[in-house]
Formats: sequence, C-alpha cells, structure tokens
Amino acid sequence: MSALAPHATLADVPDLLRGGGDNAKRWTADWDARRIGLCVLLIGIGAGAYGAAMGAWRSPLQAGFNVIKFPLLLLATALGNALLNGMLAPLLGLNVRFRQSLMLVLMSFALASVILGAFAPLVAFIIWNTPPLSAARSVPWTTYNFVQLVQVTAIAFAGVAANVRLRQLLEGLAGDRKVAQKVLFAWLAGNLFLGSQLCWILRPFIGSPTLPVEFFRPTAFQGSFYETVFHALLRVLCLID
Amino acid sequence: MNPTTPTPSPVPPTIPPPGQPPLGAHPDEQAPIPSAIAAVEAILRQPRRVLYQLQQPGAGRVTLAMLGAAIVCSLVYGIVIGSFSGGTQLWAAPVKVAIGLLISAAICLPSLYIFACLSGSTARLSEVVGLVAGLLLLMTILLIGFAPVAWLFSQSTESLILMGALHLVFWLIATYFGLRFLNAGFVLREDRSGGLKVWMVIFLLVMVQMTTALRPLIGTADTLLPTEKRFFLGHWGECIKQASQAER
Repeated sequence: MSALAPHATLADVPDLLRGGGDNAKRWTADWDARRIGLCVLLIGIGAGAYGAAMGAWRSPLQAGFNVIKFPLLLLATALGNALLNGMLAPLLGLNVRFRQSLMLVLMSFALASVILGAFAPLVAFIIWNTPPLSAARSVPWTTYNFVQLVQVTAIAFAGVAANVRLRQLLEGLAGDRKVAQKVLFAWLAGNLFLGSQLCWILRPFIGSPTLPVEFFRPTAFQGSFYETVFHALLRVLCLID
Repeated sequence: MNPTTPTPSPVPPTIPPPGQPPLGAHPDEQAPIPSAIAAVEAILRQPRRVLYQLQQPGAGRVTLAMLGAAIVCSLVYGIVIGSFSGGTQLWAAPVKVAIGLLISAAICLPSLYIFACLSGSTARLSEVVGLVAGLLLLMTILLIGFAPVAWLFSQSTESLILMGALHLVFWLIATYFGLRFLNAGFVLREDRSGGLKVWMVIFLLVMVQMTTALRPLIGTADTLLPTEKRFFLGHWGECIKQASQAER
C-alpha cells in the first residue's frame, strides 16, 4: 500500500478504491481541505461524466444538464445529512468527529462516482447503439425502459460497491463489525431517504420522451417521491382511480 | 489539609453493573462541563461524562446548560415545523414545541422520581432532573440533525399527513436515543426496573398528546390554540379522514 502524500492527489484514488481500515484512519485523521477537494472533484468528474452519458439518449442538452445535476445530487445528499450522520455515529458506538463522518460519506460517494465514471463510456456506447429518440416515429417506450434498466443496474452496482467499501472503512475505525454495520445501516437509511427526495426534485435525469428537456420540472417542489410511490401503489391495488 | 487524606465521595457509592467500569473511572469522564456547547458535545460522544457530572456537586449548572441548549434546539426545529405553513406558524410552532417539551417533562418528572424511588434508586431529585434534561437535550439535538431533511420535505409537499408522519418518525427516533440515555443513567446505578419502562410509555403518550393539545403545529387554524379537546388518536383519525376526502 502506498504511503499517502501529505496532500491528497489523484494518485491516491487507487488507495480509496482499495479501502481498508488504515486508509480510513489516514484519510479521516485530520481536516485536510485538499482531501475534501479531491472527493468533491471525483464526484464532479465521475458522476458528471455518468450523468452526461445518462442524458445523452434524450438530447445533448439533457446530457449537459446532468453534468451539473448528478454531482449536485450526491453532494446535496452528503451535506444535507452531514449533521445527522455525525450525530448518529457516536450514538451507535463509533466515536468519530463530525468532520470524520462527513469525510467517510464523501469518500463513499467519491468511490461510487469513480465507479460510475468508469461506467460512463460503457453506458455512452450502449446509448450510441440504441435507436435515437429523434429517429422514432412513435414514442419508443421499450427503448426508454431499456435505458432506464441500464441506469438502474449501473447505479445499483456502484452503490453496492461503495457501501461495501464504506463498511470496511467503518470497521477499520470502529474495530467492531456490529458497530460498523449499525452505523452503515443508519447512514444508508438516511441517505436513501433524503437522496430519493432530492432525485425527485432534481428530475429529469434520463428525460421522458414525451416531456420537454428542462433543468427542473415546473413541478419540482410540488409533491414528494414518497407520495408518488404511495399513490402508484394505491392505483396498482385499485384503491383509487 | 493532609494531601494523602482521601476526600469523602460527594455521592453515595453505587455498584456498577457487571462489565461496566464505575462512572468517573476514566479521567475524561471527570472533566467538568463548563458550557451548553460542551454539554452538547459530551452528551453525543461521552454520555458517561454527563452522567458522572450529574452526580457531582454543582450538577445544577450542567442541568441548566442542558435545558438551555434543549430549548434553543427545540426552537430551531420548531421553525422548521412552522416553515410548512409559514406566516404565524413561523413563530407559533417553535414556541409551542419548546413549551410543549418543557411541560411534558415537568408533568412526567414526579412520576419518574417516584418510579425510581420505588425501584430502590438512590438517585437524588436533582440528579433525576438532570437525566430528564439530558433526555430533552439529546432528543432536540437529533431533531436538529433531521432538520435539513424535514425542511426539504416541508418545501416540497403540500400533504399535511406526510409532514405529520415525517415529524412523528423523526421525533420517535430522537426520543429513542434520549430514552436510551436516561436508561443508561439508571442502569449505571443498578436501578433498572420495569417501572422505568412503564414511565417511558407514559412519557411518550404525554408528548404525543401534547402535540394534539397545542395544535396546530404543522397546519393552520383560526385560533392559536384548539377550542375543542381531543385525544391524539381521534385527532389523527380526523386528519387522515379529511385528507382522503379532499383527495376524492
């Protein structure tokens, strides 16, 4: 394992990918603005590149919007829950400071972004091989659903890999598997809860074929992700029209 | 004074539970808590330090610092609750949340002390007050942690039911950790009993009923306080019924 440079550089990314308790301790040992900057940069580049590939099927403009929106989603989730995550960790037995908990979450998001960034060319290639929306005579729902499935698969893989690494980092810091699992579960639940709503507000990402390309939908702040899911469930169960 | 003469302990000695060192065994736990900010830090990271300090002379200052911080935190979270409706609720909701918390604690305090005494606890009333102040502080700090999420939802949704459920879930999680702190305070004195569990249920019920007694907290009404008395289950049922009728 390479010794970490006094200030983090892109050469430290492999260390981040390898995970391990030692890396967690070194990365979170002190408040290093460059290390934070590196995580933000990785999120910006990785998630931005993936976002562009994701929006490319709908239109180049949607791809451009996603370069900003996808990293923004991850950073807003990390910052929105930073205070809560920092409080839950010591209460669940992991005595880390606020900045350490924020760093750990940023590290896991940076890791997910690096993985997504690596998938960006693959997804772009798949999109390039998909019948373009402009050439379609009717709304290509099958193609749209295929694009959705590709995104879900790639994002799920990146999310799982990042959380496996985060658990290892937490275990390295806590020295106790149970504590690490409890903290991971609490952080994951909080991040999923807030992240889903932020996703809802920042939609569209892929871009529905029947709706215009927009940075935000006019209804961005009307309703919530959970209300939509709840109503969809009621409709499926034929409890409402 | 002869420096080798051992000074008498300011509190009656307690037997720590098996596997737990006695309070104050670690030098960090003996560090005084000089301010409200230090109390916030300590209750999150070193709850044993708070518990130890509550057993020392001058524990009243720690209790007051915790109560002060809890009031500030509850006011801040109250503003987030009020931001759903805006207007009058921006000041009414924080005031109601802070007052509701304090009244609930005051209502439940005598029963906690009696339950503690019945279970053979040697805890003094001031110590029990300190434990309740710690419970309120931990609850309200955690609510501050949830505040950004609650605020985001309050700006996105118009559903009173969703916001009510969300605040209830956040409050339940925060209360769980608060009650865990209170429980630890008694466990470390070997005072744990079924009585404390009963008290916890009473405390939860009182707080939930307080939200109904001080309604509206989230939505709006013609009057600042309710004109009709209701039990919380009846109020919730009515709210859900009105929401489903409005949807149809």
